Amino acid sequence: MRVEYINPFVEAAFNVLREVLQADVRRGELYLKSTSMPVMGVAAIVGLAGDVEGRVLFDMDKPTALKTASAMNGEELKELDELVKATITELANMITAQAVTKLHDLGFRFDLTPPAIFTGENMEVSNADVEALIVPMETPHGKIEINVAIRERG
Amino acid sequence: MPTQIAEQQTRAEAAESVKRVDKIDFKMITFSLAGKEYGIDIMSVKEIAKASRFTYVPNAAPFVRGVYNLRGEIISVVDLRIFFHLPAERKEEEALESLIILKIEEHVFGVIVDAIDKVVAISSSAIQPPHPIFGDINVKYIKGIVENASKLYIILDVEKIFAPDRGEEPAPAAMLEKREELEREPKSAEIAGSENEVAASFIRETLAALRGFHVTPLNSLWFDRRFGEWKASRKGDDLQLREPGDADQFLTGFWSPNTSDLWSDDYAHAVESVLPDIEAKNINVWNPGCGKGYETWSLACVMRRRYPDARIKIWANDSDLLAISMAPNMVFTENVPDYYNEFLVEGRNGRGFVQPIRDSIFFEFHDIMNANTLPPLDLILCRDVLSFIAPIDQKRLLGDFSEKLKPNGIVLTGSNERMGEGWTAIGSESLPAYRKDRRAENGPMSRRTA
Repeated sequence: MRVEYINPFVEAAFNVLREVLQADVRRGELYLKSTSMPVMGVAAIVGLAGDVEGRVLFDMDKPTALKTASAMNGEELKELDELVKATITELANMITAQAVTKLHDLGFRFDLTPPAIFTGENMEVSNADVEALIVPMETPHGKIEINVAIRERG
Repeated sequence: MPTQIAEQQTRAEAAESVKRVDKIDFKMITFSLAGKEYGIDIMSVKEIAKASRFTYVPNAAPFVRGVYNLRGEIISVVDLRIFFHLPAERKEEEALESLIILKIEEHVFGVIVDAIDKVVAISSSAIQPPHPIFGDINVKYIKGIVENASKLYIILDVEKIFAPDRGEEPAPAAMLEKREELEREPKSAEIAGSENEVAASFIRETLAALRGFHVTPLNSLWFDRRFGEWKASRKGDDLQLREPGDADQFLTGFWSPNTSDLWSDDYAHAVESVLPDIEAKNINVWNPGCGKGYETWSLACVMRRRYPDARIKIWANDSDLLAISMAPNMVFTENVPDYYNEFLVEGRNGRGFVQPIRDSIFFEFHDIMNANTLPPLDLILCRDVLSFIAPIDQKRLLGDFSEKLKPNGIVLTGSNERMGEGWTAIGSESLPAYRKDRRAENGPMSRRTA
């Protein structure tokens, strides 16, 4: 993944999470991964197109999703209902959009696809040919992993 | 007896045809790609079809045209011409493409070819092993060659092409080890005495453990020479490398020139002179293990001088995030070798490279052990990187190199790295450069006659 793309995503994730959760957020060590990876339980995905192609996946476990959605909505949510899903989807959208805006300022043209959300147990994402950058974010509600795979169009 | 009569009647043709047609046990679908005839075993073919308007899949390899709805079953569609880097005529969106639907194990694929011809039945004994001069296609994907009705058909091994990678890995690895052993044999004779051999093999192991440096045929020439020097300087008693510092000391002299600064004028000119003439308008370069990016910037300038009119693209990768993060914004406050002056402009923080040079480089945070998605390449610059990769992966990467290089593409390795089998040396002692053996990969007759 192009070096220029990394920071906008890391910054956007950090800023948006800190703002919507009104809490301390820490970033873990970035790393690359290419094998299939387990999905923790709730995953929101946003596709990218334009000069590049790729996707951004936001991955967290169910309790984290519930607590994050509760914090964002200012009310206690106990079920993984439509509201929670919509909230997590929106979070994914906000982060990706902010990153893309930053990239736009740097001269890179990206378009976003509408986000989609997956929930379930024992899920796995496998696209062995795609290398993803993992940005782990520690929030007070649990860990959110941002999994970015972007590549230049051949 | 009736059979005898029958035999007598047809003896003239029978003598020939019985031998030839004795056992028709292989049928294939024949088709053409870039003007050549190919065949696929009919047992892997489910059906043939004409189709268009494939649904584009983001993030897929360039040879994947998309997915297609085959009567309710979603199949992926691969363009064989692009897969084999053959010229493919880009039809309009609506125009129908010839599709062969393959079924391999449980997977159904569609492959796009130029034109589908017919079913040809032959005797499998007539299939001859692939001959390297036959094509634009990597020999490993060819099952054999067969002649029928005075046409030559290249039979593709679709299972090898489309089956998942598994099972293929152990073979090359085993081969590599064997080769290594073979190449080590004479060395033990050279370094006289078994004690020496033991000491050398200890050093090999410690180099791998302390610094991740692997002695393989790629660098064994250097290692043997260096081991001799080391022995002479250490006077016998303290040969072993005990700590990383010792390993670093052993490795002094291995490094190629200018790995952590811009290439010197001399080195830049030397590289410029080793680069071949390239007529293509677009030149693609891969620079795995670019570190902080000095060599990428240097190379970009060298290429700009050597090929002023071409569109140059350099993909530079490193898996060290810290090192490569700094690469795109490199600036200089001190003097640089004269070679680069024309490519630098004054900026806010110091002198940086001009926009055309910047635009030619993609710095990527990428681990070359993962899948490398790159277009066909004209040049690979990979100095002092392969030596630090475990032998098995080294072999795999070299395979990757030869697959991704265009027929005339070249590889520049580190000063003390030598490529072996399958590569022709075209550089000099201090600046090794290699071209793929034409015989091994692409037939010399392929593109020129086509």
